[in-house]
Amino acid sequence: MSEAHFEANGGNVAVFDTHPSEVIAAESPLHWSRERGLVDDVAGHDGDVKVVERPFLGHLILRGGAITLDEAVRAELGISLPGKPLGLNVDADGSRSVQWLSPDEWLVIVPGGEEFELENRLREHLGDAHFAIVNVSGGQTLVELSGDKARELLMKSVTYDVHSHGLPVGKAVGTVFAKTSVVLRRPNETGFELVIRRSFADYCVRWLLDAGREYGLRVESPSSR
Amino acid sequence: MTQPNRLNQGGRLDRSRRLSFTFNGQQYTGFAGDTLASALLANGVDIVNRSFKYSRPRGITAAGPEEPNAIMQLGASEAAQVPNVRATQQALYDGLVARSTNGWPSVQRDVMSWVGRLGGHLMPPGFYYKTFMAPASMWMTYEKWIRKGAGLGRSPAEADPDIYDHLNQHCDVLVIGAGPAGLTAALSAARAGARVILCDEQEEMGGSLLDSRESIDDAPAAAWAEQTVAELAGMDNVTLLPRTTANGYHDHNFVTLHERRTEHLADTAAAAGRDGEVRSRLHRVRAERVVLASGSHERPLVYANNDVPGNMVAGAISVYLRRYGVAPGQKLVLSTNNDHAYRAALDWKEAGREVVAVVDSRANPDGDLVKQVRDSGIRVVTGSAVMEASGSQRVTGARVVAIDTERFVVTGKVETLACDTIASSGGYSPVVHLASHTGKRPQWRDDLLGFVPGEVKSMHFAGGVQGVYALGETLADGGRAGAEAARAAGFAQAEAITLPSVEARHESPASALYQVPHEKTTLRAPKQFVDLQNDVTAAAVELATREGFESIEHVKRYTALGFGTDQGKLGNINGMAIAARCLHRAIPDVGTTVFRPNYTPVSFGAIVGRHCGELFDPERYTALHQWHVENGAEFEDVGQWKRPWYYPRKTGGKTESLHDAVARECLAVREKVGILDASTLGKIDIQGPDAREFLGRVYTNKWAKLAPGRVRYGLMCKDDGMLMDDGTTSCLGDNHFLMTTTTGGAATVLEWLELWHQTEWPELQVYFNSVTDHWATMTVTGPEARKLMSEVTDIDLDREQFKFMDWKQGNVAGVPARVFRISFTGELAFEINVQANYALHVWKTLFAHGEKYELTPYGTETMHVLRAEKGLIIAGQDTDGSVTPEDLGMHWAVGYDKPFSWIGKRALTRPDTARTDRKQLVGLKPKDPKVVLEEGAQIVLDPAEAIPMTMMGHVTSSYYSPVLKSGFALAVLKGGRDRMGETVYLPMADGTTHEAEVVSTVFVDPKGERQNV
Repeated sequence: MSEAHFEANGGNVAVFDTHPSEVIAAESPLHWSRERGLVDDVAGHDGDVKVVERPFLGHLILRGGAITLDEAVRAELGISLPGKPLGLNVDADGSRSVQWLSPDEWLVIVPGGEEFELENRLREHLGDAHFAIVNVSGGQTLVELSGDKARELLMKSVTYDVHSHGLPVGKAVGTVFAKTSVVLRRPNETGFELVIRRSFADYCVRWLLDAGREYGLRVESPSSR
Repeated sequence: MTQPNRLNQGGRLDRSRRLSFTFNGQQYTGFAGDTLASALLANGVDIVNRSFKYSRPRGITAAGPEEPNAIMQLGASEAAQVPNVRATQQALYDGLVARSTNGWPSVQRDVMSWVGRLGGHLMPPGFYYKTFMAPASMWMTYEKWIRKGAGLGRSPAEADPDIYDHLNQHCDVLVIGAGPAGLTAALSAARAGARVILCDEQEEMGGSLLDSRESIDDAPAAAWAEQTVAELAGMDNVTLLPRTTANGYHDHNFVTLHERRTEHLADTAAAAGRDGEVRSRLHRVRAERVVLASGSHERPLVYANNDVPGNMVAGAISVYLRRYGVAPGQKLVLSTNNDHAYRAALDWKEAGREVVAVVDSRANPDGDLVKQVRDSGIRVVTGSAVMEASGSQRVTGARVVAIDTERFVVTGKVETLACDTIASSGGYSPVVHLASHTGKRPQWRDDLLGFVPGEVKSMHFAGGVQGVYALGETLADGGRAGAEAARAAGFAQAEAITLPSVEARHESPASALYQVPHEKTTLRAPKQFVDLQNDVTAAAVELATREGFESIEHVKRYTALGFGTDQGKLGNINGMAIAARCLHRAIPDVGTTVFRPNYTPVSFGAIVGRHCGELFDPERYTALHQWHVENGAEFEDVGQWKRPWYYPRKTGGKTESLHDAVARECLAVREKVGILDASTLGKIDIQGPDAREFLGRVYTNKWAKLAPGRVRYGLMCKDDGMLMDDGTTSCLGDNHFLMTTTTGGAATVLEWLELWHQTEWPELQVYFNSVTDHWATMTVTGPEARKLMSEVTDIDLDREQFKFMDWKQGNVAGVPARVFRISFTGELAFEINVQANYALHVWKTLFAHGEKYELTPYGTETMHVLRAEKGLIIAGQDTDGSVTPEDLGMHWAVGYDKPFSWIGKRALTRPDTARTDRKQLVGLKPKDPKVVLEEGAQIVLDPAEAIPMTMMGHVTSSYYSPVLKSGFALAVLKGGRDRMGETVYLPMADGTTHEAEVVSTVFVDPKGERQNV
């Protein structure tokens, strides 16, 4: 565990490594759905549509001016900030991404466990600029949608235009999902990603299963981290 | 089974597939490709229903959604019941079960018809309003019997077994209607590369082409339609939606389409062998451009007894003959004011049936179709019309007479022609409904004798909907509209398709005829129906105008013209024309009716979609939800959250009551240690050099000196000075704070902070982010809390090192945690925050160590009792938007001398907020300790005062306290702080009156020592 107060920029912000030093059982936001029998282990099964959770990733919210943050993010993460609203930039192997959320707000997703070190490096780099970095890794999770019917399943669920005209690769939007909201991303040609909030995760899973029943939808998640 | 009216050949049917169905209990057969209406006509079923008000026998009149009479109750089982299905729009399937929606005990012998027959002239418009006026209390009783005798179908009494859903669609061009204009429009837009959706309400796309006599490119028109639909189906950028009605056109080109996916196969999706499939679907379409190609409906003429079975609109005759191979009679008389209707006579004659005469209101019709009819030897009577139909259960004759339409009189002798079918055509009404859904009024065109749509932004019109009727012109108009729409949607190269060749026809102009004059006056002539479904007659419209109703909108409401499932599709224009005649005005001068969604009825299932059952509303769960469920918690809804309410113990098959469980949980906290899942509290991370300044402006109290490591309770007011939310905020670092809000206030408070930051103080350098879901929060509280915590944490818990309102960082159960010494119970308390993924481990570890301290989980009910015993408020329960911090006795949390003004300060310095007789928060102790006052109960000072009594305040929170062994309450009371020790009274609805003493709000541990140990 690091020091409680990180003296980075003359200001005083408490940073916090949320991960225990020993291996301790953790539950992703889809845990309760799994307990209810709604989520299967990842089985490599290929139906018309499949939803797979990528649990325990590092999620950071960056707030600040685009120019300031872009320089730091490029230096520390090797990805530039998306140049346009609704932009999504993903690194070569698809495991790290930066997404525009609002004019002074970006979502960074990195492999689980990297987020604390990245936050510290970014804080170091940004010095006394005005910015904020917030770790939200426990509050949301990423699920991937793939298969021939993924687009139709999304049409049943979100109001945004999910055709490639409306949501080309490299675009990400916040949109209405049934009676809640999600972040919807198009990182590549093969599928879509949803970032869903922990407390709404079970509702989203039940909705997807209901809407995807006619396609034989399965929701999968690794059985443990 | 024979089908007496079925032709030996013709029709778009699969005659190898016989389908059997029942109507009113009787078995019939039809063919694949039939509608229920065409199959009934094929079987010679004349009477399909009884009319709404007069219970007159009624037959099938039309062939589309405008059908007013053939309104069916469908479904073989109770759960599958569907009311008010138009037989003309229902595809026949094997095993279909249909009943008339009206007629008791049967449509053949109907009890109410005697009421209608004997009392018909005694039932003028407004009859029910006028007759059943008094006494008002009896209306419910009258209504029940009126509804049994009259009315449409019924809802199922069992749950619907099927599922429904919504599909959000986006396109460049939405084309509504797949007739000739719609097909060329869709093709023109699609070939330019636009994303096109083409919807059509019928089983098969093609519209009027499917029953047309004309040729396209020297082949039957229907063949061209098939070929065009096939081309569209092969294009990736085109979505074809048959059996899909565009029911509502809303602002910004948002259109709702109702697609029926299994209703042509069986009465439920399961019965169709499609379990799990969606029965019907609402497409929510956002279109760049809309092409409305909805065509037109033929108007019938209004003449006496025009409702007797055997009276039909002329176009329907052609549809049944050509599309379904059904001749709905033997001997036809056609009454018309236009050329186009003549095709019914030709089709009828070609089917081998007799055309007795064509009666034309015009003096010298000379169009190509008229010539063709004359050449075929059919008698044409000009300057005349059918004045009256003979017969009661079926037409037996047509009484024909020469008329003067200008003077509205008959001018010759009546001739009676024996026949069993009368077809009439009074011209065509463009289907303008969708164009007027956003409020645009249709425009009257004298040359068309009909209303056309008013201009609608982003909507293009094609074909019959704007009065373009000739086939060649319709195809061209569709091509033009489709290309225009595509260009407007950004496909600059779009052009109308090259048109196929169509032979042009000469047509003579139609004459204006709506109601046919009768030898008797309208009020004395036999009934001349304007609106068949609602039994509105020409006499009723005339009477309404005499009673002073001058606007068609009022006439409509008074007479019920245009109500019901058909929404005046056949009758509205005729009704307006009659009103205009009676008022001596032109038709557009009596006003136009504006149509509202929906065009045809939409099932509730499709409107609801998946938003039902357990998906009706989201349920939000904390990271610890599984443990709560497994440990038998009862849940309470707090916003969308499911929070444990209490944890009843089950012993020996008996479940603890709420009262007993809460008493046990309360005592556990006061005497040992309890634990609460507080994860639902709103949590907002605040960072930036101006974070502290910002807090000082949104909270009433001071934040300048709160040191890192310390926590403070804050009050947040709206600008009116009334309490909005409260909670603790911790100083994590000089530029870093963690704010907590009430569970229900989390989103509102975050928006409130952003609002003030973005609009009023953008110069402050501060950012707000929600971390509600990131942190799981557990409150460990009670005298044994420190001992329990010491077993699981490396944090120094010494009371001098870790004081009340301090926070510390360390490990709890091996997981990095922030621990806050704040208390909502008045006991020693530690509030633990860990990253939510690790919450269950921490919670379970606490229980593993907690057994020896009798660690007890408690829910929201116990939390409420414990906080109320300490006089701690809940914003939204003890406050209601009219309560200031001072009313709550919290002067200590208001910093009037802060250097920068804060939200609510100005309002709190008004004389009104300083009044001493404002309602102030007090405690109430019932004189009888067994009494638990009702929350909301009004407080009075004089129980003997006459009603209306002077109400001095009300109870806001009230519970039984196991510690006090008494009921106790918090209340707001006028001038309450000056009434300590006084007795007040709470009169109840049952006549009893409770007595209570006004006391301090703090009932337990008034000095606050227990939380500081």
